[in-house]
Amino acid sequence: MNLLTIFLSAFLINNVILAKFIGMCPFMGVSTKLSSAIGMGIAVIFVIFGASVLSWALYYYALVPLGLEYMKLICFILLIAAFVQFVEMFIKKNSPSLYKSLGIYLPLITTNCAVLYVALDNITQKYNLIETIVNSIAVPAGFMLVLVIFATIRERLTASDVPEAWQGNPIALVVAAIMAIAFSAFAGLV
Amino acid sequence: MSVIFAILIAAALLGLNAWLYVANKNTPVPEGCENLKPDCNGCGITDCTLRRKQEEH
Repeated sequence: MNLLTIFLSAFLINNVILAKFIGMCPFMGVSTKLSSAIGMGIAVIFVIFGASVLSWALYYYALVPLGLEYMKLICFILLIAAFVQFVEMFIKKNSPSLYKSLGIYLPLITTNCAVLYVALDNITQKYNLIETIVNSIAVPAGFMLVLVIFATIRERLTASDVPEAWQGNPIALVVAAIMAIAFSAFAGLV
Repeated sequence: MSVIFAILIAAALLGLNAWLYVANKNTPVPEGCENLKPDCNGCGITDCTLRRKQEEH
């Protein structure tokens, strides 16, 4: 499959949040401030890329040769959790400034189902390594794009005159629904 | 034989996870980052470690 098609599909058309409804927890939780959204987005890109490539390698170089494909779910969960621990420890030791800006979001990513979704999707779609890399960058990049747009809208909403019953999450979910409709227009792109 | 490999792989990943968890816990937090608070709300996960930290503060 064309790499550009994979990228555009994962980035805009089949956006992980607005089309698949995956990763809603950080989408709602870490979108109240733009700075938090950017930090979370960068951390998600880094973790999803690393975890997906490692999962792909584990599947094709260990599970498939041994006939243990049915183990992929449990193996990927453990691998993702271990990878997040490793990244957090590595950043703590080597880059305090990076830890200051991203470290707080790393434990949150362990509970982000988008990480597992990308790892499993790469296997389900039978992507090769290059396609896996492109997909593993495009999906979290789409996540970050939507998160940042959503955060800017939510920042403006705090200054808006929203009826009391709609304040907070209700109006945020309405905004998310309108964004999903807007993003569905990208379906004609490819 | 396949079952033994399955158990070995699962055990290896579990061991790796446990070792990295302990190593991460024992790694000191860099100076100035001791009281970082997550700016996170709206999530319903009650056993999240960050949520517990927020409640402690």
